[in-house]
Amino acid sequence: MSAPRSSNALKSALGVGFLLACLTITAGSIHAATQPTGSTDPAVRNQPGVISLALEAASSPVVFSHAVAARDALGFPVGARRAGRHVQDTFEGVEYDEVDELDTSGRPISMTQLDASGRLRVAVRLDQSPHSAKRIARDPAIQVAQRGAASAGLTVGGPMHADADVATDGWTVRWSRVQNGIGVRGDETRVQVRPDGHIQSLARVEHQLSAEPAQRLKSDQAREIVSRQSDKWFVALGSSYTVESMDMEWVGPNGAFDAAQPIDPQPVYRLAWVANVKPSGAAANYLWMVTLYVDAGDGNLLGGDFVE
Amino acid sequence: MKRAQLMLVSALIAASALAATAPGAFALRGQVRSNSDGFGTSCVGFVDTYPQQLYSLTVTQMSKLGFAVADSSIGSTFTRNAFLSTVLHDYAVYVHSHGDDYWASAGYPKIDSGFLQDPGPGRCNNSSDIVRSSSIKAATLGTPYNLVIMSTCFLGSDKSTMPGAFQIEKTKTSNQPEFYLSYVGHVYDSSMLRFEKAFWSYINSGNPAYSLWGAFTYANSLGGYASPDFDNPFMPNWWGSANYNGHPTAPTSW
Repeated sequence: MSAPRSSNALKSALGVGFLLACLTITAGSIHAATQPTGSTDPAVRNQPGVISLALEAASSPVVFSHAVAARDALGFPVGARRAGRHVQDTFEGVEYDEVDELDTSGRPISMTQLDASGRLRVAVRLDQSPHSAKRIARDPAIQVAQRGAASAGLTVGGPMHADADVATDGWTVRWSRVQNGIGVRGDETRVQVRPDGHIQSLARVEHQLSAEPAQRLKSDQAREIVSRQSDKWFVALGSSYTVESMDMEWVGPNGAFDAAQPIDPQPVYRLAWVANVKPSGAAANYLWMVTLYVDAGDGNLLGGDFVE
Repeated sequence: MKRAQLMLVSALIAASALAATAPGAFALRGQVRSNSDGFGTSCVGFVDTYPQQLYSLTVTQMSKLGFAVADSSIGSTFTRNAFLSTVLHDYAVYVHSHGDDYWASAGYPKIDSGFLQDPGPGRCNNSSDIVRSSSIKAATLGTPYNLVIMSTCFLGSDKSTMPGAFQIEKTKTSNQPEFYLSYVGHVYDSSMLRFEKAFWSYINSGNPAYSLWGAFTYANSLGGYASPDFDNPFMPNWWGSANYNGHPTAPTSW
């Protein structure tokens, strides 16, 4: 339970007291307190945003008809009206068209986004799910997800995972993308199923892939590169490590170990050996796992990931 | 001199009364903290670039949402004392660090969730760096919070005691302007960054009818989140209100 009135008044009073105390010292500090302290940092100043341009059904009939078709295919509710926009999203470095289905109060009850080629990017219900006493079982949820993807015109294949989702109390069903027998890291078709068996959302993530290298490093060569790197990182600091896995995947180079490297929000994926390294000793207190991407062609470190 | 002091005290009392009757008249504060030294060269041999990316993103986006972002820090100034001594004034709180559901001082099976303060340059984190939810609960004095994001592992799990430190009940049907977001299991930094970018892109896209829950739902739907293993699928979680639009709001005036 939150927010008894007296507590809120206490916090407000403390806030005002703080402001007045600052005022007695220097008037300028009130202004400073309302500014992000990191605003002089170029990393903060150059942050991304969303720029959008309204779309009308009359001038963009294809966008609206595709959105309506996706809505109906997925069994989403029909709104009182629709609003469309073209979005430039510099968070993700993508452009898309979006149609929101709105209720009589103007609140969105679903959203459909189509990529630059008109293909479905994501469709999601934004009306609240009724609190179902019983959650649909896993296998029927997978069948619902398969039917939903098919009716939206998506062919699903590749390794499938279905996980109970605590946020919706339903299921998240994912088909990972596989290209020439090799998994594409993060790329997937994802369907969320509500506890009552209706579709909550459908999304497709697909990155551009570069050409495969003419020659591939062997697994033991890649392991040697990973071990050399891990020796420098962990053994030199008195910790140890274990290389838990070494798999070939398509990955997005991300310069995760190099702050000077510019970040490409939509990288072209490269073929890489992906190693999961688990530290032990002191380093295990603050780092659970580090993942390295080693270019499958030239052995360069393309980036990686961390579990802190 | 004494007269001046009396005038100041009177002014404070008057302002406090004004604030109590008109909450929201002043910009409500938020703080953003990110542990970077714990994931820096002296501890892990390399620089983990995600703490800076997440920090920069959140400072900008929390401000855009309308909170006066003060008391924010990345690195050595993110200390337990800095956090606990300022958190009472805040309505929005963001922490990126290592987080876990630690045993309480009473021992198993009691949980006292926490995150690690920045260890400072040249030091690495250890258990003495834990900022426990019980300490935060004591510092927040039962006051309300609008938005709490624990960008850490585990603090979105069902057993997490962190929401309670900010008086946010672990329900998804709150009628108060409050929203708590965190992650259930082990999470890749890249997945947190992708999720939080999508979350902010939605809520700060300029539509006043959008809600934080909608932003969460959109980000959760988007996909593309790598997960460290099958036992740890990417799983964000939330508690609070499904209707709250995220703008600074003193709860009694909602």
